[in-house]
Amino acid sequence: MNQGGKIRVLVAKPGLDGHERGAQVVAYGLRDAGFEVIYTGLRQTAEQIVSTAIQEDVDVVGLSILSGAHLSLTRKVMDGLKAQGADDILVIVGGIIPDPDIQKLKDMGVGEVFVSGTPVSAIAQYIASAVSTRKNAG
Amino acid sequence: MAEQKKSLDRIKKARDLWEENVLKKRLKRFNLAESPTRFYTPLDIRGFEFLDKVGFPGQYPYTAGNNPFDFWRAYADSAAKTDYRPDWGGAGGVGKYGGFGTAEDYRDYLIRMHAMGRKGGPNMAFDLVTQCGYDSDSPYAEGEVGRVGVAIDSFKDFATIYEPYTGDLEIDRVPSNFTINAPAAVIIAMYVVLAQKRGIPLAKLRGTPQNDILKEFIARGTYIFPPKPSLRLFRDICVFCTGNLPELNITSMGGYHIREAGATPAQDLGFSMANAAAYLQAGIDGGLEIDRFAPKFTFNAFGGSMEIYQEIAFQRAARRMYARMLKERFSAKNPRSLMIRQPITAHIGCSSTTLQRPLNNLTRAVVGGVAAGMSGALPGVFPPFDEPLGLGHSQEAVQLQIDATRILIYEARVTDVNDPWAGSYFMESLTDEIEAAAMAEFEKIESMGGAVAAIENGYMPKAVAKSAYERQKQIERQEKFLVGVNCFTGANEITVEVNRVVEATYDPERMRTAEARQKAKLAELKRTRDSRTVFSLLATLEQHARDESANLMPDICDCVENDATLQEICDVLRGVFGEFQQTRL
Repeated sequence: MNQGGKIRVLVAKPGLDGHERGAQVVAYGLRDAGFEVIYTGLRQTAEQIVSTAIQEDVDVVGLSILSGAHLSLTRKVMDGLKAQGADDILVIVGGIIPDPDIQKLKDMGVGEVFVSGTPVSAIAQYIASAVSTRKNAG
Repeated sequence: MAEQKKSLDRIKKARDLWEENVLKKRLKRFNLAESPTRFYTPLDIRGFEFLDKVGFPGQYPYTAGNNPFDFWRAYADSAAKTDYRPDWGGAGGVGKYGGFGTAEDYRDYLIRMHAMGRKGGPNMAFDLVTQCGYDSDSPYAEGEVGRVGVAIDSFKDFATIYEPYTGDLEIDRVPSNFTINAPAAVIIAMYVVLAQKRGIPLAKLRGTPQNDILKEFIARGTYIFPPKPSLRLFRDICVFCTGNLPELNITSMGGYHIREAGATPAQDLGFSMANAAAYLQAGIDGGLEIDRFAPKFTFNAFGGSMEIYQEIAFQRAARRMYARMLKERFSAKNPRSLMIRQPITAHIGCSSTTLQRPLNNLTRAVVGGVAAGMSGALPGVFPPFDEPLGLGHSQEAVQLQIDATRILIYEARVTDVNDPWAGSYFMESLTDEIEAAAMAEFEKIESMGGAVAAIENGYMPKAVAKSAYERQKQIERQEKFLVGVNCFTGANEITVEVNRVVEATYDPERMRTAEARQKAKLAELKRTRDSRTVFSLLATLEQHARDESANLMPDICDCVENDATLQEICDVLRGVFGEFQQTRL
């Protein structure tokens, strides 16, 4: 985890899903909220996301998934981060996530799940507070 | 003329007095700097010429609609008397958009639909793997095979889907829809080969491939090759279909995808027209005469917001703008070339629906239906209210949707008048305004060198992303209000729950095992086919792909017929054309 000043966030689109509006809006919004944001663009494999997260020394990975493949794709990213010893990175998920799946994602270790209608400011607040808790703990 | 000027002068004088004596007093009383409403007068449409701006329904410039009345309107009363239910699959149309799992899974689903009397042609949703030009055994495919649509790796898969389409449902009798863009050439080739194997004349094939690759770079994101070679493939399809499949629609262009991705109405219309101009020019560059192929261009849908006046004006402006472009720029003469043909017209757009207090989405969708009914179309209430709750609409939501449309037709009688807003000072002014703003966007793109250039330099995709973010900021600052989302969320508000049964259309067990079954089939295919022939045909395809003047459709048909896979064909083209690299935010 990055120990410097600004919180670094990787906004990522795993899989082949091309619905990009949410990811872009969150990326812009978090940038304006003072975070350093890296946006992967479309069609990232879990391996690519894990390696970018480590290379870029991010505090947070935000996965945006609207294709219904959120459980398997998130699982792969979580496993990948763990395998690389980078499971101190906070993972959050956004997209079309049916209610019963939210708890399943949290059980995998996902910090929070943001569904449509969430203001970017709420995501920013969550990240700021969760990352500071983690850094203080670490 | 002098009489008209005198009249306008009188109105202006009266308006100035009204502003001074009535409006300003009111503003002062409420301590406002500006009026929260507007009132329109003939001064707002100076120089308005009815025949030039509106005309009659079914006549240039089609502002008042494509027809004096639509075909469904002719049968509306008998539909009511015979309890007609638009469950997708009426005579001569396509069935409901869908698809999942392997070709066998989707085939069996279609057989079930046929047993329920839903006998429309296949209206195929493809999985993302197919849409992005991969086979089911690609590393990119993991977890995605058969999820958002059916998986197609080879002609054998495609042919499997059509097994129940024989006899009365033979492919010269029912049309097909293919929601496919980047690999559209491969899917069309499969359709061609299927017809050839069945001895059906190609000239009898009907259907609509989406085949709108340019908007994939701006919205939706299932591109493969860079825009320039993508447009070359479009040209090849356009020329091949015009010559061999004259009844097949060539493209179904999407404005609404661009709007859903965040575009403003002006961007949506301007960008869609720029894309259309690029496709039309591609046909002309392929040596075709405009009126031979432009009648087979269709639009998927235009629209996508809750702002009802704006959406009505938008439809009027879109029809007029397209007709003028075809007539003036492309010298089209056939009326069918000049018309925007689209199955869905004004609607609210799925992005207008909210997860919060979801039954409100029914109210929202009705607004879209009214806008459609008032702008020359079936007042389709769309989408069902549970759209944002996840893939799959409940029977209850679909029932409410169908009934709402019926209520607008039969009780509210929304569609008894053509273009009911024609001549309104306000609506004519708004139509002009939207057309002018869209034209400014269109011209900006033209000055960059057209749609391909405005994708390559990132202008169109970035502009849409920025507009999406602007809108989000407006929502968060409460400059735009969404009921139940950023306002009226107090403790006394309640969420109205509705009993909801999601129709179990897709077998979850089959969905889960689709990837393994699909991969096994693919391995078997590669073991048993004549691979030497496949590789030789792929080599010929590669050679011809390097020659910009060659039409690749015959080669792709040969590859498909000999069981080359979708990815093998796309990989050859990737090798020659390269892959599109997204511009950074």
